[in-house]
Amino acid sequence: MSTEISRRTFIKGGAAAGVAIAAGTYFKWEGNNIPKNVRDGNVTYDVLIIGSGGAGMKAALEAAKNDKLKVAVMTKMIPTRSASTMAQGGMNGVTGVTDPDDTTESHAFDTVKGGDYLCDQDAVEYFTETAGKIIYEMDYMGYPYNRQKDGSFHQRKMGGSSHARAAYYEDRSGHAMVHALFEQCLAKNVEFISECQMLEIIRKDEKLSGVVAVDMRSGNFISIPTKSIIIATGGYGRAYWIRTTNPYSSTGDGIAMGMQLGIPFKDPEMVQFHPTGLASNGVLLSESSRSEGAYLLDKDGNRFMARYAPKAMELATRDIVARSIETEINEGRGIGEGLHAAVYMDFRHIPKERIMERLGQVYDLSLRFEGVDISKQPVPIRCSCHYSMGGLEVDDYKTTATRVPGVYAAGECSCVSIHGANRLGANSLSEVLVFGTVAGKSAAEYAAKVKYEGNLEVLKAARDQWLAKFDEVTARTAGTPVVEIRDKMAETMWYKAGVYRDEQHLNEASKEIDALMELYKNCYVGDASHTYNTAFMNYIEIGNLLQISKAIVLGATARKESRGGHSRKDFPLRDDKNFMKHTLVFKEGNTYKTEYKDVVVTKYQPKERKY
Amino acid sequence: MIVTLQIHRYVDEKKWIQEYKIEITKGLTILSALHEIKAKQDPSLSFTSSCRSSICGACAVRVNDHSELACEVLLDTLVKRYKTDVLVVEPLGNFRVIRDLIVDWDPKYEKMKKIEPSLHPKAEFTVQTGCKQSIEDFDKYKKYAGCILCGSCVSECNKSALNEKDFLDPFIFVKAAKLVEDSRDKDHKQHLKDVIEAGLWKCFNCQECTASCPKDLDPAGAIEKLKEATFKLEMASSVGSNHAKAIYDDIYNTGLLDESKLSVQSEGFISAAFRVPIAYRLMKTGKLDLFEKAPVNKDISKIRSIIDIAAKEDK
Amino acid sequence: MKYAFFPGCVLKGAAAEAHTSMMKVSEALGIELVEIPDWTCCGASHAQGVSELSMLAINARNISIAEHMGLPIMTVCNTCTLQLKQAKAKLDEDENLRAQVNEILEKSGHPYPYQGTAEVTHFLWVLDAHPEVFAGKIKNKLTNVKVAGFYGCHLIRPQKVLNYEDGRNPESLEKLIKLLGATPVDFDYRLKCCGFHAFFTAEHDVLTVTGKIADNAAQAGAQMIVTPCPLCQMQLDMYSPEGREATKSSVEVPILHLQQLVGFALGFSKEEMGIGRHVTAADKVTI
Repeated sequence: MSTEISRRTFIKGGAAAGVAIAAGTYFKWEGNNIPKNVRDGNVTYDVLIIGSGGAGMKAALEAAKNDKLKVAVMTKMIPTRSASTMAQGGMNGVTGVTDPDDTTESHAFDTVKGGDYLCDQDAVEYFTETAGKIIYEMDYMGYPYNRQKDGSFHQRKMGGSSHARAAYYEDRSGHAMVHALFEQCLAKNVEFISECQMLEIIRKDEKLSGVVAVDMRSGNFISIPTKSIIIATGGYGRAYWIRTTNPYSSTGDGIAMGMQLGIPFKDPEMVQFHPTGLASNGVLLSESSRSEGAYLLDKDGNRFMARYAPKAMELATRDIVARSIETEINEGRGIGEGLHAAVYMDFRHIPKERIMERLGQVYDLSLRFEGVDISKQPVPIRCSCHYSMGGLEVDDYKTTATRVPGVYAAGECSCVSIHGANRLGANSLSEVLVFGTVAGKSAAEYAAKVKYEGNLEVLKAARDQWLAKFDEVTARTAGTPVVEIRDKMAETMWYKAGVYRDEQHLNEASKEIDALMELYKNCYVGDASHTYNTAFMNYIEIGNLLQISKAIVLGATARKESRGGHSRKDFPLRDDKNFMKHTLVFKEGNTYKTEYKDVVVTKYQPKERKY
Repeated sequence: MIVTLQIHRYVDEKKWIQEYKIEITKGLTILSALHEIKAKQDPSLSFTSSCRSSICGACAVRVNDHSELACEVLLDTLVKRYKTDVLVVEPLGNFRVIRDLIVDWDPKYEKMKKIEPSLHPKAEFTVQTGCKQSIEDFDKYKKYAGCILCGSCVSECNKSALNEKDFLDPFIFVKAAKLVEDSRDKDHKQHLKDVIEAGLWKCFNCQECTASCPKDLDPAGAIEKLKEATFKLEMASSVGSNHAKAIYDDIYNTGLLDESKLSVQSEGFISAAFRVPIAYRLMKTGKLDLFEKAPVNKDISKIRSIIDIAAKEDK
Repeated sequence: MKYAFFPGCVLKGAAAEAHTSMMKVSEALGIELVEIPDWTCCGASHAQGVSELSMLAINARNISIAEHMGLPIMTVCNTCTLQLKQAKAKLDEDENLRAQVNEILEKSGHPYPYQGTAEVTHFLWVLDAHPEVFAGKIKNKLTNVKVAGFYGCHLIRPQKVLNYEDGRNPESLEKLIKLLGATPVDFDYRLKCCGFHAFFTAEHDVLTVTGKIADNAAQAGAQMIVTPCPLCQMQLDMYSPEGREATKSSVEVPILHLQQLVGFALGFSKEEMGIGRHVTAADKVTI
């Protein structure tokens, strides 16, 4: 490439020896990020929280109120990188500050209806009674709420809500929550065990021993004894890999490990497909696009929502819009091909000033990733897996305890079930805060009462086994590369267990996942270093996603109806007579089995869901 | 177009530069290029990333000596900016490197603790009733709540590059400014005291942090706000603040800077005395004339008036 | 070409050679400079830290005088440029702020409001945008002279405010050096900070980087450093002995003001350009 002026090569002289400009950068890592007694497994935690998102940090702050307890948050990344940061709209909670007519009954009903009546209504009632209080608490903790004239936080109306009840920070409500919680964690000196990939929860003879993890930075395999565990590892949208809005980290690690313990994966098939993800990479284009008036167009420029939701049009619920988009593509009225096929979202009729003021992020993302100026051209979008309503079964919503004593689950990785078959916008942030608090409080109370009954030898033996496994797996010089298995899994899942499902394709998907699990046994990782081996981390994550995918397929097969985010072409209607039930997928050794459990109905009998 | 990425690798104490070639496609950001290289060319290339939509802050790296948020910047933009088809990718500056492009954030969290980085709510607020804050007061600090802890500002800080032990990273000043401007907080003075002790006045004002911030938070502006706050809250009494006040007073007194008095005004007579050698050197070349009186601006009464009126309004 | 000239404090004091050389060079190039009457110090980024509003009003006054002259403003100091352009950006974008500042100006008795009609530009940008001013004027092509261009922070960052060229890969200085016949030398520290503004508060660090910049340029083959900012020039020139001590280097490199380098190419002598006032390596200036 010709240049007018000779350009510096930017590789400074002596680069191999180290660079002068930035101070003291390179050094030998000796694993001193983790205290020695943790490395040796000599300290027993009272509460070990896995996951540092909204639920994890809130749980830690709650548990740490008892300063006699040893509490830590373990995360495979570092704090503030979680999917929680990506939430935009706000947190629902009934306070009446903006809409004095709002009631917890209304919030509960909106949630249950939004969830297509699959929510456990006793838990939902508990949730709506607490969600408002949490908003005040977060204000006190420094959350930067947008305000209204009387000085209270302002609440706005989100999709599917009948009242204005979502408190928020701009269009980055999740980001603000994570940083407010992290500030509190720093202030209270909450212990973080960062960049440790959890591998297994060890339980022997019905006694919880602790966890085995790999400290990425040093490469040491560590075993940590703990009396109680709170699993708060988030969702599993990456089963669909690029067709998800989720971050790279949403690989359902905690769910896979919970299943190993015997905790069932409840309603795994219930994933929410957000209608507007960028066609090229699944990045979310905010729902406010549609609430600000964007149109959805087929390849000929027609507003196709007229066919599916003539009154609400583009403002129908997410699952309805998502299915409409997929139908348009399946029936040939979309553009493009494969996993990147799409329809158009059109903003051209909206005045440019309003686009820049209210939809600045949407404008930037479209320009950067699609090269499209949305004030002049429509942008290609397609649905993307956005939220995991399914998760580890919570046995008691008042404590978030699972059926395994000492193990709790909170946040997106859990299924209480608050969201049923479809989550409402702004209910997720409230859920992580409400149940993160509950989990922290309950785990702390439990740990204060019981003695550690685990087995340190078993724990250390498990750790040694994992180290041996690491050496074996990373030494391979042949095999199917992990990314190939990943991409095949994503294709199988999207086309055969995606927006539309049917018996034949689900059976094929099940076999394909089984075949991928076989390939996984001898797959090629490609990096044998002990220091921060991200290839090994990805290997673990894909292994977890395969188990998650299998459960999704089994859950979808078992649910012979359509409800919320789950659509069966062969069972297109909701079947309240037979399926007011949750699906529970159990893993025993290497076999999976499916059971059902009745939905708890208190006040709201299932009705037809029209918007 | 094929671009060559020269990536600084560091694994198990070995350092080297590895070249990868990649074709520029629509929407190819630095991060998507790294992922593609890892998937198709070299699974050992290591870096951190999560949201890939510029909100989690995990993926910042240095390209051609400037920090970039990898998921936000297209390779094409860089190719055009540097007029090259070779880009050098390094981990962020002013961090310890763990491996390849992965850096250690723990020391930064310890630094954050120095400014007591959480809200200290006023006594009239409670957990049950939350806080009250006007829309105007919210507007004062809301921008600073947008920091994603990406480290781009840290990487290019010229002061930190020389010595980071007596200074804070720019994003920590942003966090402090957020708290000092937050009307819900009762300890503005305490936060400021912490910030002053941690080196507020040592900032070079090089504007690298403001130029690097992918969220347009203007950390250099936050530092300026903190400095102003030290005057407003009557906590200004150090060399740095004296120096600033000296210039401000010079404008008030004559309209122009009086260089001959600057050292004494900033450092006090004793410290200024140590400047005699350099003063002598400057006098020799004629650069310093201790007897030259600064001329007074003809319009000085209006100028003083402006400052008086503005200072009153600026409370 | 006619500009309202904003010299900045140091040109009237320690950097007087930058002023005298500027007067000679601008005349030779046919650029008419009318000094803004009764201009005040721009605040130098320090007074802004005492009271931003006061300095906004002070700089609104400075700019409004030029507006009244009907001329765009030309600066020859980076910090002046940034302070004036920052004030202008804030006042132009925020009409409430502008109204508040204009009210202050009015109350103080200043005869006219700030209107936002005068552009602020720096001498380097003017030369870069109008290379035709050199036509037929380069009497002494600086052939074989190797010059490292040191930009100085406040002319390149933040790009949004300065809005002239790419702050991460500026080229105006190198292009000018070439136009004058010299060879631009690329060096690692060309976009770094000389530390001038932190001299009193971070002295050791500032002296270290003072030494590093000169050393790095010399290692890259530069015979001289040229800078468009008199503050950088003062820092690198006046404190060169301390800089060399801090970095244990023995290289002495002359530090030129932009207008001095231009002046040499136009045929002016070292005396005319005031090289005698330099502290460091004045004898090494080879033109």
